[in-house]
Amino acid sequence: MLFKDLSIHIEKGEKVLLLGPSGCGKSTLLQVLSGIIPKSVEVPMKADHFQQPASWGYVFQDPDSQFCMPYVDEELAFVLENLQVPRIDMPDRITALLKAVGLHQIDPHTNIHTLSGGMKQRLAIASVLALEPEVLFLDEPTALLDPQGTEDIWETVKAISADKTLLIVEHKLDHVLDLVDRIILFNELGEIISDGDKNKILKNDRNTMKEQGIWYPGVWQDYLSSRPLKNLTPSHTDVVLHLNHFQGYRKKKPFISVGEATVRAGEWIAVIGENGAGKSTLFHALMQFIKTSGTFEIHGTPVKKGKRIADHLTFVFQNPEFQFVTNSVFEEIAYGLRLEKLEEPDIRKKVFELLDRFRLTPFQQHHPYHLSMGQKRRLSVAASIVKGQPIILLDEPTFGQDSKNTFALLEMLEDYQQEGATILMVTHDTNIVEHFATRVWTIKNGLLSSDVHVRVKEHAHA
Amino acid sequence: MNRGLKLTDILVTIVIAIGFGIVYKLWGPLYYFVKPLGLHIDQLIYGMWFMAATVAYLIIRKPGVAFLAEVAAASGEFLVGSEWGLEVLLFGVVQGLFAELVFMAFRYKRFDVTVVSLAAIGSAVGSIIMDYYKGYIEDLALWNLSLFLGFRIIGSILIAGVAAYYLVKALEKTGVTNLVRPASKQDYDALDQ
Amino acid sequence: MDLSFNETWLHKINPTLKLFTMILMFIFVLFVHQINWLINLTFGALLLLWVFSGHPKKRVSLLLIPFLIIFISTSSSMILFGKGDTTWMKWGLVHITEESFYRGLHLGFRALIFATLGLTFALTTRPVNLFYSLMQQVKLNPKYAYSFMAGLRLIPIMIEEFLTIRNAMKVRGVEQERGVRAFYFKIKSYSIPLLSQSIRRAHRIAVAMEAKRFTGERDRTYYYKLGFSLNDGIFVAYLGVLILLGYYLSVVWPLFPVGDVRY
Ligand SMILES: Nc1ncnc2c1ncn2[C@@H]1O[C@H](COP(=O)(O)OP(=O)(O)OP(=O)(O)O)[C@@H](O)[C@H]1O
Ligand SMILES: Nc1ncnc2c1ncn2[C@@H]1O[C@H](COP(=O)(O)OP(=O)(O)OP(=O)(O)O)[C@@H](O)[C@H]1O
Ligand SMILES: [Mg+2]
Ligand SMILES: [Mg+2]
Repeated sequence: MLFKDLSIHIEKGEKVLLLGPSGCGKSTLLQVLSGIIPKSVEVPMKADHFQQPASWGYVFQDPDSQFCMPYVDEELAFVLENLQVPRIDMPDRITALLKAVGLHQIDPHTNIHTLSGGMKQRLAIASVLALEPEVLFLDEPTALLDPQGTEDIWETVKAISADKTLLIVEHKLDHVLDLVDRIILFNELGEIISDGDKNKILKNDRNTMKEQGIWYPGVWQDYLSSRPLKNLTPSHTDVVLHLNHFQGYRKKKPFISVGEATVRAGEWIAVIGENGAGKSTLFHALMQFIKTSGTFEIHGTPVKKGKRIADHLTFVFQNPEFQFVTNSVFEEIAYGLRLEKLEEPDIRKKVFELLDRFRLTPFQQHHPYHLSMGQKRRLSVAASIVKGQPIILLDEPTFGQDSKNTFALLEMLEDYQQEGATILMVTHDTNIVEHFATRVWTIKNGLLSSDVHVRVKEHAHA
Repeated sequence: MNRGLKLTDILVTIVIAIGFGIVYKLWGPLYYFVKPLGLHIDQLIYGMWFMAATVAYLIIRKPGVAFLAEVAAASGEFLVGSEWGLEVLLFGVVQGLFAELVFMAFRYKRFDVTVVSLAAIGSAVGSIIMDYYKGYIEDLALWNLSLFLGFRIIGSILIAGVAAYYLVKALEKTGVTNLVRPASKQDYDALDQ
Repeated sequence: MDLSFNETWLHKINPTLKLFTMILMFIFVLFVHQINWLINLTFGALLLLWVFSGHPKKRVSLLLIPFLIIFISTSSSMILFGKGDTTWMKWGLVHITEESFYRGLHLGFRALIFATLGLTFALTTRPVNLFYSLMQQVKLNPKYAYSFMAGLRLIPIMIEEFLTIRNAMKVRGVEQERGVRAFYFKIKSYSIPLLSQSIRRAHRIAVAMEAKRFTGERDRTYYYKLGFSLNDGIFVAYLGVLILLGYYLSVVWPLFPVGDVRY
């Protein structure tokens, strides 16, 4: 059961941020407060007194699962139809709404599928604005966006919310903090541990937040100073990857080009770039999911078509669920080993080692889908690297995670790196780039446009 | 509780069905690829076209879902441009209706492999009635007709009955079916403690 | 799918009217047992598709190729194994008679006309318009109409998910397994994530729609208003004339020397 004896009271016009570790029930609470639970989602609940806001709007986390129509104007019209706005007024209202969220440069009759993630989220805000709500609920609206997109969204929210009540759930605090004036802190059991003025909470409850694994300003400094010193400079020097005039094709057109790049064992490469720049495409090309041309060598041997690339490279997808093929956490990790026809005792030994390392031992009999997001992510990493592939590619492995899970995952990867594995990781998080990467690749318009070795600053903090 | 289907039920049914609609469409080329092998081997894979009804019913377990799913799957197949054109729509309606009638006969209380197989047979019977009007199947030589009917029914039981049942069983293990099934009375009682 | 095409009068027909007229035509054709008449009808339908679909001829030809295969595969079992008296050829189980041959051919043309009408509809109708029209002209419950539109919007997303899973399976090594068990396993590893993801997504969209105050009530305003026009009349008249003229020509200039193809 989530939430027992919870009382919450929000004044009109307040701008509130809900913070808590992943899986504590923030999204659930937001849905209860808006009345989505139990009206649309049947969840057993009981409350002595419950007052719902008269008019409200809700922006969800996943941009692709909140629209029901194919085109931008049709989606907005859908909301207007619900409100029984006369047909002749619709085009003007649609233009005005798009303008309010800064989407006026696009043709209203644009296919939603062709919009970037950030534009989709702005459209979601526009469709919510059509409801003329007093209260706005925002559940991690920027989880999948790049830093620029994130900033734009919060600018938009700021511009439209002067006279509105805001309830926000968000892990990434960078831009939200300017917007809110009250913070409610939850622990992992879903109990309120603190509630009050933003600045007071940020000052007084720092330790609680740290314990609970909540992101807060300065969390990185605290984390870095508390962790043992590590030598991040790669000590190995053998070349594992070599690319020259390498290109990846989608629909017969090059979508990613790399002029020349050499990767050595033990490097940690952060791949950064705007939404849609081609970061995922680069990984797909390396994994040979798409057609490629040019030189591509692993350990000095050219990669040929049909060769089992998965023995050398492994890839952790953004959505871990797509990778799960069995019914239990144990079997999931054992799968790759069973394919290799290893002896059962060897398999068990190896699996237990990984379970332990990724802190999944208590869940070994659970169904992979029943894990929390952080656990799923760790499992997908564990299952991908079981064969001991020397190169690990990860596509945004930390989005939507609390700080505890993020640090745990990063530390595990770091252990591997110390043992000589090479890590390539797409991320939008500048802190990870700054504190973990040994090298940064920037992708711009489908081109590896900059490749810099970063000096490891780690020691300065310690 | 309240009768009729909620928006969630309808949308989930239709989305599953449209997924099957794509499979139905891809199944077409496979079907006419094995067809010229003669002797109705193709009929063994015909049962695939009944699967939306049984799978959706097993997931959502409500009256009307089997029918809606089969019609929606056929519409999806039709709108993405089926080789059979309009035919699929009417077949979908009849097949869905017959599957629905079987579930209704058990008063929507049973979800086991027997009932699902019976529903699959129901759909097969529906499709055979349609073929009777469309394909002059009674004018086939008797041995050939028996082979045709036998294979179609066996195929339906195997695919739309047994395979659908185990597919949903596997899906239940993942827990997503709880999203569309009503919370149990136990859960409500737990609140009072 | 975003294919470019020219809008013709066929695109402007009221979608509900187009659908019901075509279904009536379908049912009518089921009762046509005269092969010569059917052939004329089929050519009339093909003409409509070829000249007025507004799509490039190359695309239409490409889409017509599977129809030929269907034509052959539909007619072949009847030709080879159908009942009949005037034997042309007998070879083991195969027994081709004059009657079964024409009956088989008739079936082939039937499949062809159904497919042609269906393709004409699919190529000239935007699903969104169809569902708006069904809500307005036959009072389809908006809950169903919008669910269909939302579902159709998800098709490209589902295809992308399918490709992602295929890549994930490559990474996990599922592809390298062989045999019946592996086949079963493969089916499972594709269908379970696809289905569960679709259910979750559908559920979320339903919640989002209700959060946007969608109630499913019938009294709502409509962004697109669909009515009737002269084009509807032309369309109905075309099919009417086709039926009559087709019959007349089949009597005056029969292509094959047979009447009713039933046994
Ligand atoms: N449909 C569901 N059925 C059963 N349990 C659920 C369901 N949805 C969520 N839960 C559980 O409820 C708890 C709270 O989930 P919720 O999504 O509210 O967390 P959250 O605080 O928003 O986490 P995050 O920061 O990761 O989004 C979790 O333990 C989750 O596993
Ligand atoms: N399957 C596909 N078919 C065609 N184009 C695609 C496909 N996937 C991505 N693209 C296009 O390729 C470009 C690069 O996309 P990619 O997914 O690699 O971006 P990204 O840098 O990973 O962005 P994000 O930060 O949003 O994940 C985009 O313009 C995108 O629209
Ligand atoms: Mg959440
Ligand atoms: Mg990406």
